[in-house]
Amino acid sequence: MRWARSGRVIIGGLLLLVVLICAIAAPWLAPHDPNEQDLLSILLPPAWMSGGEATFPLGTDSLGRCALSRLLFGARTALMVAICAAAGAGAIGFALAHVAGYLGGRADWLIGRAIEVWMSFPPVVLSLILMVGLGTGTDKVILAIVLVDWTRFCRVLRAEVRTVSRKDYVSAARLIGASHWQVLTGEVMPATLPLVITLVSLEMGIAVVVEAILSFVGLGVGANQPAWGQMIADARQNVAAAPIGLLLPMAAIFLCVAGFNVLGDGLRRSLDVRQTELRGA
Amino acid sequence: MSLLVADALGVKVGPLAVLRDVSFSLAPGRMLGLVGESGAGKSMIGRAIAQDLPPGFAVSKGALCFAGEDLVAMPRSRRQALLGRDIAFIPQEPMAALNPVMTVWQHLDEHLARLGVANRRARAEMLLEQVGLEPGAVLPRHPHQLSGGMCQRVLIALAFAGEPRLVIADEPTTALDVTVQARVMALIADLQRRCGTAVLFITHDLRLASDICDDVMVLYAGRPAEIGPARRLFEAPAHPYTASLHLAAPSLTGPRHALLALPGQMPGLRDIATLPGCRFAPRCQVAQSDCQDGEPALTDGVACRHSALTRQITPGPKQPLTPVTTPVEVVRTEALRRVFRSAAGLFRRTETVAVAGADLLVRQGEFVGLVGESGSGKSTIARLVAGLDRPSSGRILLGGRDDLSRDERRRHVQMVFQDPQSALNPRRRVGEIVTQSMAISGAGGRRERALALLTQVGLSPEIAQRYPAQLSGGQRQRVNIARALCEVPKLLVADEIVSGLDVSVQAQLLELLLGLRASLGFAMLFISHDLAVVRHLCTQVAVMHRGVVVEQGATEAVFAGPQHDYTRALLAAAPGRGEFVQKSRSA
Repeated sequence: MRWARSGRVIIGGLLLLVVLICAIAAPWLAPHDPNEQDLLSILLPPAWMSGGEATFPLGTDSLGRCALSRLLFGARTALMVAICAAAGAGAIGFALAHVAGYLGGRADWLIGRAIEVWMSFPPVVLSLILMVGLGTGTDKVILAIVLVDWTRFCRVLRAEVRTVSRKDYVSAARLIGASHWQVLTGEVMPATLPLVITLVSLEMGIAVVVEAILSFVGLGVGANQPAWGQMIADARQNVAAAPIGLLLPMAAIFLCVAGFNVLGDGLRRSLDVRQTELRGA
Repeated sequence: MSLLVADALGVKVGPLAVLRDVSFSLAPGRMLGLVGESGAGKSMIGRAIAQDLPPGFAVSKGALCFAGEDLVAMPRSRRQALLGRDIAFIPQEPMAALNPVMTVWQHLDEHLARLGVANRRARAEMLLEQVGLEPGAVLPRHPHQLSGGMCQRVLIALAFAGEPRLVIADEPTTALDVTVQARVMALIADLQRRCGTAVLFITHDLRLASDICDDVMVLYAGRPAEIGPARRLFEAPAHPYTASLHLAAPSLTGPRHALLALPGQMPGLRDIATLPGCRFAPRCQVAQSDCQDGEPALTDGVACRHSALTRQITPGPKQPLTPVTTPVEVVRTEALRRVFRSAAGLFRRTETVAVAGADLLVRQGEFVGLVGESGSGKSTIARLVAGLDRPSSGRILLGGRDDLSRDERRRHVQMVFQDPQSALNPRRRVGEIVTQSMAISGAGGRRERALALLTQVGLSPEIAQRYPAQLSGGQRQRVNIARALCEVPKLLVADEIVSGLDVSVQAQLLELLLGLRASLGFAMLFISHDLAVVRHLCTQVAVMHRGVVVEQGATEAVFAGPQHDYTRALLAAAPGRGEFVQKSRSA
């Protein structure tokens, strides 16, 4: 398992492990209910600064909600969206890419054109339109991201499937009697899997950012569910008085996305055969 | 006065020696051939001259001098001034060596400007005429609009533009067809004679080198095995390795002998470092006990203590192939056509006729060679017969029928692919690969079958547990053959299966195929560009030219009395007919 020894994979994995623990253990780690308002203690600074209170370790926002609790529960939202959206977009892209790349011909043409039309919409605008139509909620955010981002998978994977399908061992498998399904699952998919894993990892980072953008403009997971983008939007009005309220969710988003990207990059480098060949290993 | 002198040159990567004790001298107007199998280090010599060694490689010992100047120690600026002017290169891959976005004129213009030529247009036209290209037609073209042979001519024109004193040609014809190869080699020899240039000709083909070079140096495992006049090396090789190379290569003339299949393969860099004594001894037919005691010095151009024994290495017994007389047909194609359509624009489509009405016949147990140059439709026929592609029109009769089910078909015909790298799934173990067809049909006893198959193709059973990446090229090709034989088909379609291999490994595989035919009795459609290989292996030969089989008949009859013009051209171009191009000069 060379990928487990790669520094990038370890760093990215550790970052994400921290986020994951926060998300799972949020109800036990959080000192308050994330939506509980304490209007007597609004815009408190973190506990270690002057004026801070020990019950609110990272301070409060303009409605007196605990920043730490909101961050922890925000991690739940972020990871939920990241995992489901990446899985959904990956599944659609994976299936269509294998159909297009393996069969070629008309199926390839049709799927290729569909992707081109799809990608000609600016992704942020497309997802905003979708959210306006769908309404807010975590499931709606996931659906919007899946509908926008499956093309990214499909494009990249299709080329890979095409390359693998042209290998002689795929022809050889057909010659010795394997069905198309056996060839796809036995010969082609094992070869494209490393790329799929890498793309899913990168897509998770993208999903976190998109969810934050949508929440920031108020078309995200909904007002009563804590989300990092929502926190940024809330803190924006008081940025001069309490800049820390803006910096905390930004830092969370940064660490999470960096984790996914570093992990994805590490996986790409260690799993991709072409990269290995380039290094001559 | 020698132009290029190597004195005990050594190149190392880390602690491992890539080249050792390489000494030669090349006088102006002479041509020296550097011959060796892959891994012998022959290209390293060319790269050492340009000081363009791969990262980690460095000259560790000895000297390399050009016209009295030390190439290794000289400052970079001096070397840059020499390269392209006094020392020119002709590369292996002509298509890849030209910049695809520049026209031929831009290439020549840029190079001539660097050389400081005043009237560049006239000079460029003159250079192209010299290499047999029409300047008006070629100058405005981009490389992709030219054939491989034309690109190589442009590169030769570029190389000779600065009237260099030394030209280094690294496998300049490997990527080209036989007929084109003959023309390109004649061109290099002609220019060399006219300009008095010294040429260092790097090749894997001992026969080609003997044909055109004055002197030949044979390298084995990074060290010269033998050096001497080309003619002497051809007629009376003194080193056992040189003799073995001769006897491992099938011949186009004379009686047919069994090939000398050297056991094993050339040692890798690590093995070279640990082997005691003569590095060739483990494969040598006449090795003596004292061959282990240190490496033999190069005396009188031979690095062997027992060169007197070399004469004992003789060709195998005379073995004429017995022609097949059975009337049972394995495959017959009738007016086979395959046309590829591709979009040339929004509404326009172009049609490429790959196979234009080919009639071909293979009888039971018969090896039929299919020869022709690239683009003649050989590989398309292979795919059609194997069932990987459908004909546009015409019929393919397998055992007299054209309505075989997929299952019947796969028991009737199997294919061995050209590139073993691509033909073996890198994620499967060898044992799994060779018995994959049984896994698909759910048959039992796969382990035993895998071991039996591996033994049949001359591989040891423990290879079943390995992955393809852990095998050598020759071993991979054996696995490739074993997989095709798993269901004991009546016909094998083999597409250039020995073309990427070294001559000693090729000999092993050719003898293996003949042995398997004797024991299993299958027929084979053997596609190759190498006429000598076809002559050695096949009783029948079919010649393809532009999608049509122009001639089919018994191999010896076709080669002795070719009926079609194209067959005659193909035969005349093949190297190794013992005609020394430069005989007059070296005498």
